[in-house]
Amino acid sequence: MAVAVTPDHPAARSVSAQHFVRLKLRVLGNGFRGQARRIVLFVFGLLAGLWAGAGGFLLFAAPGMLDEPRYAMMAAAFGGGLLVFGWLVLPLVFFGVDETLDPARFALLPLSRRTLVTGLFAAALISVPALAALLAVSGLVLSAAALGGPVAALVALVGAAGGLLLCVAASRAVTSAFATMLRSRRVRDLAAVLLAVVAALFGPLQLAATAALRETDWDRLTGAATVVGWTPFGAPWTAAFDVVDGRAWAAPVKLLITAASVGLVLWWWSRSLESAMVGAASSGPAKARRGAPTGAVAEFFPRVVGRLRRDRFGALVARECRYWWRDARRRANLISIAVVGVFVPVMVNLGGGGFRMSSEEGFAATGDPSPILVGVSMLFVGVLASVTTANQFGFDGSAYAANVVAGVPGRLELRARMTAFSLYVVPLLAVVSVLIPVVLGEPGWIGMAGGTLLAAYGCGLAVNSFISVLASYSLPETSNPFAMNTGAGVARSLLVLLSMVVTAVAALPMVVAAAFLDGGWLWLVLPVGVAYGLGAALLGAYLAGDVLDRRQPELLATVTPRR
Amino acid sequence: MTGEHPALALRGLAKRFDSKVAVAGVDLDVPAGSFYGLLGPNGAGKTTTLSMAVGLLRPDHGRAWVLGQDVWADPVRAKALLGVMPDGVRLFDRLSGAELLAYHGLLRGMDPAVVDQRAAELLDVLALTDAGRTLVVDYSAGMKKKIGLACALLHGPGLLVLDEPFEAVDPVSAALIRDILQRYVTGGGTVVFSSHVMEVVERLCSHVAILADGVIKRVGALDEVRGDRSLEEVFVAVVGGRTATGEELAWLSR
Repeated sequence: MAVAVTPDHPAARSVSAQHFVRLKLRVLGNGFRGQARRIVLFVFGLLAGLWAGAGGFLLFAAPGMLDEPRYAMMAAAFGGGLLVFGWLVLPLVFFGVDETLDPARFALLPLSRRTLVTGLFAAALISVPALAALLAVSGLVLSAAALGGPVAALVALVGAAGGLLLCVAASRAVTSAFATMLRSRRVRDLAAVLLAVVAALFGPLQLAATAALRETDWDRLTGAATVVGWTPFGAPWTAAFDVVDGRAWAAPVKLLITAASVGLVLWWWSRSLESAMVGAASSGPAKARRGAPTGAVAEFFPRVVGRLRRDRFGALVARECRYWWRDARRRANLISIAVVGVFVPVMVNLGGGGFRMSSEEGFAATGDPSPILVGVSMLFVGVLASVTTANQFGFDGSAYAANVVAGVPGRLELRARMTAFSLYVVPLLAVVSVLIPVVLGEPGWIGMAGGTLLAAYGCGLAVNSFISVLASYSLPETSNPFAMNTGAGVARSLLVLLSMVVTAVAALPMVVAAAFLDGGWLWLVLPVGVAYGLGAALLGAYLAGDVLDRRQPELLATVTPRR
Repeated sequence: MTGEHPALALRGLAKRFDSKVAVAGVDLDVPAGSFYGLLGPNGAGKTTTLSMAVGLLRPDHGRAWVLGQDVWADPVRAKALLGVMPDGVRLFDRLSGAELLAYHGLLRGMDPAVVDQRAAELLDVLALTDAGRTLVVDYSAGMKKKIGLACALLHGPGLLVLDEPFEAVDPVSAALIRDILQRYVTGGGTVVFSSHVMEVVERLCSHVAILADGVIKRVGALDEVRGDRSLEEVFVAVVGGRTATGEELAWLSR
């Protein structure tokens, strides 16, 4: 007896964005049920968000409060532009997106694409970062009201709301698009390069900004603000200050730019949503070429580790090696390391040490690069690179059961994971530690840079071994490598922060040592740093491995996604 | 394998999740050389029980022995004797079938030459050779079960514990899996598997246990449990299902 659906059924009630919002709140609420730890984390995240929002609020409101219309346009254009840019890039590079409502779950429901996109969009607005941004940009309204009266305030209100929508929509669209690309076998490498380029834009932007600030050439800066104000990055925020400056005609145009951008971005998002729901791009044609009759074991070992012994350690390293490349989630992390590893030291050393724009010299380094600054930036890169392993078991998910069933000793497991990860990261770190001193014109510092970097990296591996064994969390089983579970964002940020602080403290002696050495003695840091890092990593694997032996089943339970 | 120990012995295994009791004290003796079916409705605690029996989930109370080795006191020796196929658990599925087998074999400390030879044989027998270098993530459900079974068999364990080996498997693959398991038992191995497909259990098993609400309701040799009724009748009677009166869901008929 088939159930026939006839058109004369009572008309289905239409689904509105409100339903999605309620669904998200309900899912959030249920996630907290009986999970005190999660509630604490959420409150912590909320407070952190409010704190950041309040800071932004002060920045945006200050020109109005101090009655400085000159700064108002600039704060709106640059501050607001940075906000949009941050929403675009940070989810890709660092934070991921909260995918409480996974689009794939809606695939079977009879919802039009428009309903789905509006609904998911409305649900995406319910988040702590969006709340923080709302708080921050409300400063603009205050500023506009103080400078230009109620009309300007109204324009600012509309602009700020539009800008916020733009931020959220853009971050969703970009992560969704990149997720689609990273999943597809054909274009994933292209996506990696694109991502690197986008993130690398930070460097030059920061250089230009510091150079501009040093010049304190108000005309040029105001000019730049005007230009930014006409792009989608600045338009929503600056419209009100055009009213203040008496260019009332510009306000509607800028609001129109904002609205058009939001529409465009949502359209883009809806396109990639479809593929996320159907999973069209997920697999692509698999490479079904027959393996040469060399045998399973030979096929299993990647060429890089071809010389390893064919034993348990070798198997673990080979599997991790394959996974760092084949798992989109891990690959996204590797790319982030590559990007951050190159542009942070460049920023710190060149941006901070100073570049100035001058008519006769062009772009030139000024000020003396300092070995301590280089050391600290290397420390930071090492810390950042190793922090990726803080949730190394979370990447495996329930597949980790295989290792538990096989009874892999904890120390062996951790050493193998360190080895495989280092195969990718250490060459990169080596490049960074040679590149930065050479760019600074101080090749004599290569030893110091490399030593500090590797020491920090080794300490980081040790610290993160503990964190991964004690505080791993499960990742959602979606095809979006940027997706996070509800509340996991806060947990992750806290853990990352903790691990970074501890690692930095552990590796600090290297920087201190470097401060007391100069000339050829700086090379001494290299062997000492390598030994320090290696020793720390091995000690970490030794101690954390013991803990892992005792809590393998518990670790498996924490990394298994709740179904 | 040694005759004096049961292949799997469970004593008072219990587990509670938050406020819900998943397993409330399970005692079970699986004789060596038996083909043991663990039956139960959804949510009865089958997966929880088997996870605790093989060292994947720490029990709140109770102990488990595999061929005389205590799983929780001496996991290394117990796990060496075990082959496990957990249910719904992702394999390391970004590897091809051959790679996955090589990983499992080496992880068990096997000689690479033996791994190569057995992997080729298993892939051949399970009709997975054609998949070539397709990653396991792209396998069909049946193929995933088969490669999972191959991973559990590879090191020649004395006891094979399978969670829902016939779930979502087409009849052809199911027949193949049945055949291999029967050969394994004939060769002296012991199989414990969970299922709620009566027909398969009735055809394969020498012993069954019916689990419901976290406790064993019936246990023993198949004929003892079944008596003169069909296994399905016994099962429904034990578990306490409801029968439709025909009054409800009237809107389904038109």
